[in-house]
Amino acid sequence: MPKIILDDPDQTLSMLRESVETLATRVDGAARLRRRRADGGDLDRDLWSEMAAAGWLGLLLPEDMGGSALGPAELAVLAEGLGRNLLTEPFAALAVLPGQILSAIGTPAAATIAQGLADGSRITPLLWQDAQGARAPLTLAGNGEAMTLSGTAHFVTAAASATDLLVLSERDGVPALVVLPARNGPAGSGGITVSSRPGLDGATIGQVTLSDVAVAQDQILAQGTAVETALQAAIQITRFALAAELAGVGAKALEDTVAYTRDRVQFGQSIASFQVIQHRLVDMWSDAEFACSAVTNAVEMLTEDTPAAAAQAVLAAKARAGDSAVTITRRAIHLHGAMGFTDECNIGLFNKRAITLNAMLGQSEDLRLEFLAQEMATKSTAA
Amino acid sequence: MSTHPDYNAMSDAEFRKIFRDWVDVNCPQHLRFMRKQRPTFDEVADWYHALNDKGWLSPVWPVDYGGMGLDAAKHIVYVEEWARLGCPRIPDHGIGLTGPLLIEHGSDEQKAEFLPKILTGEHVWCQGYSEPGAGSDLASLRTQAVRDGDDFIVNGQKIWTTLAHCANWILLLVRTTKSDKRQHGITVLLVELSSPGVLVRPIKNLREEEDFCEVFFENVRVPARNVVGEVDVGWALAKSVLGHERIFLGAPSRPEYALTRLEILARDRGAFEDAAFRSRYARLRLDLYDLGSAFERFAKVLREGGTLGADVSVLKIFCSELYQRITEEMLTVAGEEARYYDDLPVGDAGGAIDVMNLYLDSRAPAIFGGSNEIQRGILAKAVLGLPSR
Ligand SMILES: Cc1cc2nc3c(=O)[nH]c(=O)nc-3n(C[C@H](O)[C@H](O)[C@H](O)COP(=O)(O)OP(=O)(O)OC[C@H]3O[C@@H](n4cnc5c(N)ncnc54)[C@H](O)[C@@H]3O)c2cc1C
Repeated sequence: MPKIILDDPDQTLSMLRESVETLATRVDGAARLRRRRADGGDLDRDLWSEMAAAGWLGLLLPEDMGGSALGPAELAVLAEGLGRNLLTEPFAALAVLPGQILSAIGTPAAATIAQGLADGSRITPLLWQDAQGARAPLTLAGNGEAMTLSGTAHFVTAAASATDLLVLSERDGVPALVVLPARNGPAGSGGITVSSRPGLDGATIGQVTLSDVAVAQDQILAQGTAVETALQAAIQITRFALAAELAGVGAKALEDTVAYTRDRVQFGQSIASFQVIQHRLVDMWSDAEFACSAVTNAVEMLTEDTPAAAAQAVLAAKARAGDSAVTITRRAIHLHGAMGFTDECNIGLFNKRAITLNAMLGQSEDLRLEFLAQEMATKSTAA
Repeated sequence: MSTHPDYNAMSDAEFRKIFRDWVDVNCPQHLRFMRKQRPTFDEVADWYHALNDKGWLSPVWPVDYGGMGLDAAKHIVYVEEWARLGCPRIPDHGIGLTGPLLIEHGSDEQKAEFLPKILTGEHVWCQGYSEPGAGSDLASLRTQAVRDGDDFIVNGQKIWTTLAHCANWILLLVRTTKSDKRQHGITVLLVELSSPGVLVRPIKNLREEEDFCEVFFENVRVPARNVVGEVDVGWALAKSVLGHERIFLGAPSRPEYALTRLEILARDRGAFEDAAFRSRYARLRLDLYDLGSAFERFAKVLREGGTLGADVSVLKIFCSELYQRITEEMLTVAGEEARYYDDLPVGDAGGAIDVMNLYLDSRAPAIFGGSNEIQRGILAKAVLGLPSR
């Protein structure tokens, strides 16, 4: 069955795979998702702590930031495992994205926050998106002692559980990364308002409004082009993690559907014995295979340190894995018949999770267009 | 109840106007274009009673039984206007299933007992056909009814029974005789859900709504007079009721509604400025347009007094798959917002588009009413005359 195939000379990847599977035998991802959904929660702190203890949240971070200093191959294997097992805590959005920004900035203040992220003690979502997912206007005003931060950010992961908010703001057109304590500051210093809406995958999605929140100089973690560079690099590696997770979601949904249609008997035979169903399953398998090989390719490109090729490979992988997981899981629902239309059956959760991850940081069509634009640009410089 | 004008003698346009004018005034605004596909009886009771008072609750039952007695052509107008005005689906298993079955095959006592109570809403019916082991292969059903004096004793389980938890009667297909030919030995029974031994358990669907159920039967006594038609030959009875109504499985109302929602969302999000979207939208729009033409071609057969062939299944397949493609496009237009489970805001006036509600709803019609694979199988054999293995 489809999986992300990677060289594994010293068995670290298979050990990592095994540790995800071991956690998944203890922790029923689907049950946790339903519980979090029923509670209206945005993060399962217990599970998040377990993921921290396993060393997963700081997987990519350098050791002096409390991380394991591992690379794209390990990230792919971990994210794939989370996808396969419906372990839907926001690993990509809440561990990878802010973690990569903090480590790129690399100052002692950023390192301290990153350490907290890695050990699970600090929940540090990035505030940067508007109502449609584009860059939010978050404005840092004033100078020296009298700085304030204002604006509204949407799609804030774990907004209600957050301990710190990483705010991607602008001051006079220059990007500035600011860290805020997630709770309201001292009285009279303006406020932070958090609201939320239900997300498709059972975690609420936060909106955070900052109204003249006072900011001290030492809360500015970085300014200028360094911030932009860190963001773009972090988006790329997060898209890569999402691609691997989507590949896992699709592959497992395929496996479950093969098993279901084999077992399900109608007209005196397994419905998987009908040729039309066999062909459908083969198409789904092929989708899953392509998703996995696209991720493998991205691992190689990221490892080879060829930035332009890596950028394209990641765009291709997220586009492919997103389309593939959404299509596989949609067809999987249909092949489960009325059972697939129930909330009790996990196959619907796979579809909801696939749609969610696919919608994060650009849907497939946008990524394909970005791929093309990069390729055209390369060609015109070469010519 | 007033005596009816002869609707069938009117022109379609004339009937359309009369029907539309009254419905538009009388169907409560808060019930129009409901988010829920299958509201419960209580939610739409006022509208149900208003229709009955007007004599318009039951379009095809003969006038003698309190129906409008519409021919197929006028029935199509009725259904079209109903959808155009966004009237809610009423619990219609009594009107659409049990009623016609009794009118055609029931005893005089059964007609006198059950038909009026369907119209008043005293009896709310549900359809107990599918079982855990009998979905597409309905004839393999195993819920058993054994004769015991004046009663049958029923044991077994039904599943996917829409709105059983809001109904008080169930139209049940049961096995009365085990036979090599599986279609033989099936009987139609009318069963009161309050009978001892019946247990109804709602099941949550993908939208986390409880709209279908499991129904369990443990030694449930059902009077033998509640058998419809003859014992053991219920299969043909159950199959006979659909008739011209099979055309409505392909009525364009769901994709039509979804496309209006997609248009509003796309305008609000500026998607029409994107040539690629415009092109995809144009395809969906013309698919809908062409579905209208195909629907018309079958409607014409009915208007001319003909009967539908197996080929009408093509409408159901195209319609349900178009509905899915439209809602999938909505997810694309939604972009990052496809992560939300609740409705997406549009405009400044508090409007909202139920993208996820429609997307999830669109999964169902390809499964129920004979799945699209089953429909394709019928077309292959009955229309193309292809060989069986
Ligand atoms: C929303 C909803 C409401 C419903 N309401 C009712 C109700 O009120 N009363 C009632 O009795 N039932 C109801 N049903 C049940 C419905 O009739 C069944 O779901 C349907 O008959 C399919 O059966 P199944 O779900 O067991 O799927 P299965 O028959 O197990 O089919 C699973 C998959 O296999 C495919 N398949 C099956 N056989 C073949 C074949 N020979 N060739 C190729 N592919 C095949 C199907 O297309 C499907 O994709 C409802 C279903 C839904 C989804």
